[in-house]
Amino acid sequence: MTSIDVQDLTKEFGDRRAVDGLTFRVLPGRVTGFLGPNGAGKSTTMRLVLGLDRPTAGSATIGGRAYPALREPLRHVGALLDAQAAHGSRTARDHLRVLAASNRIPDRRVDEVLEETGLASVARRRVRTYSLGMRQRLGIAAALLGDPEVVMLDEPSNGLDPEGIVWVRRLLRRLAGEGRTVLVSSHLMNETASFADHLVVLGRGRLLADTPMRDFIDARVRPRVRIRTSEPGALTSALARHGHDAEEHPDGHWTVHDARVDDVGRIASAAGVPVLELAAEEGTLEQAYFDLTGAETEFTAQPQEA
Amino acid sequence: MEVTPVLRSEWLKVRTLRSLPGALLALFAATTAFSALAGASASDVSDPGFDPLFTALSGVIPGQIAAVTFGAMAVSSEFHRGGLRLSLAAVPRRGRWFAAKAAVIAVPALLAGLVTAFAALLVGRAALGAAADGLSAGEQVRGVVGCGVYLMLMALFAAGIAALLRSGVATLSLLVPFILVVSFVIGDATGTVADFLPDKAGQLVLRETYDGTLGPWSGLAVTALWSAAALLAGAWRVRRADA
Repeated sequence: MTSIDVQDLTKEFGDRRAVDGLTFRVLPGRVTGFLGPNGAGKSTTMRLVLGLDRPTAGSATIGGRAYPALREPLRHVGALLDAQAAHGSRTARDHLRVLAASNRIPDRRVDEVLEETGLASVARRRVRTYSLGMRQRLGIAAALLGDPEVVMLDEPSNGLDPEGIVWVRRLLRRLAGEGRTVLVSSHLMNETASFADHLVVLGRGRLLADTPMRDFIDARVRPRVRIRTSEPGALTSALARHGHDAEEHPDGHWTVHDARVDDVGRIASAAGVPVLELAAEEGTLEQAYFDLTGAETEFTAQPQEA
Repeated sequence: MEVTPVLRSEWLKVRTLRSLPGALLALFAATTAFSALAGASASDVSDPGFDPLFTALSGVIPGQIAAVTFGAMAVSSEFHRGGLRLSLAAVPRRGRWFAAKAAVIAVPALLAGLVTAFAALLVGRAALGAAADGLSAGEQVRGVVGCGVYLMLMALFAAGIAALLRSGVATLSLLVPFILVVSFVIGDATGTVADFLPDKAGQLVLRETYDGTLGPWSGLAVTALWSAAALLAGAWRVRRADA
């Protein structure tokens, strides 16, 4: 199987370090979300993997080989870096035919990916006339062109309408389900949470986390319970007896911090408090991410200029 | 990677951008029109400096701007909004990629140049009438073939500069004034280094008579050296720089 291996990768632009000693692996069969604020080095890392930028130090390989050493690379790796890269004066179909021809991919496959990305009916229109969402679909079509075992997409949901976002999510899940290696960068947390199995998080070019998404969230967000009752006084005193804090919200529901739904249910029941609503509040990726990057910001908040 | 698929892909790029075949059409139209004009308005045919071959082909002087534009745009279309990344992700062997690019500029420019030169000579001669009777067949063949090669070399020169500067606008704002003004102003000073300018040297092949260090073919060779140098500089930039 083909994985992406990044080893001690460093890239400097002038005296700015965009990528700083990065080491991680992207494994097949799952969707890896690539997170980090703008400028964290996600796009630079992708360009380094594709051999477009030269690393200052370290290496990036695909299935053990450097990208430029791949014969007909589009058949191994499909990438979407920038949806604006297609020349506006070409038709979408011609744009894909040009890419296909260089890697001996038949034109039949061009029509297939146009169909798959929902562009078949506008394939003979100039890219200039495309909306951002359509360009994004065209970029994804180009990435799928060679039926590659590795797919790397930089912000694929950018500019897509709600249907498009759901489509991308399903596509990513399907690609991973087929055993492909899928790396998807994003700065939208909820979006990433909807498709990723695994996370690689960057901050200022450095690796902050490389863990399964569930672990990432569970390790950083404490469980909470949402409860609604007709007798708040009885509830809070029952909870307090068991050492739990409850916080009231304007709409009348309460949040019990750092508690499990099983415990809160039993406490309420034993105290004879009528429960109108009881639910576990799962931690979100967003909360976990801000917990991580918040700590990171404090850590790196020293002035950079000497 | 094999060479043929890369050539096919690059050729498809030229064909599918309307402006590129358009530039070659403009080359034909402008050159023949200016040659007809120059032939019809040639008055001083008894002047010892009068050169019927150059007059008939003189449409190339303004017409070459289209050839230069073709070469510059074929390359600069890659630098549009990260387009180069897309191309180099498909063909990571950058030297091979740039060589294919140069080939798909050279061949159409040469063919369009030959057709253009032939047509320009026909209309130029027709417009000159009896004044062009003294031209030998050999001189005319040399003029047409040389003109086609010259236009190809200028397109390649522009392609190399465009790859070096990574910009079509910068390339054209450098080369167009150079061709139209600098070369024109200092061009009359024969016997100086001006003879070795890329356009001046190559244009000797368009003349029936010539004097000075360079002849028609050696002049063309000088232009070829300029083009080769520009292409090498462009290839260096393509290979070295981050895409």
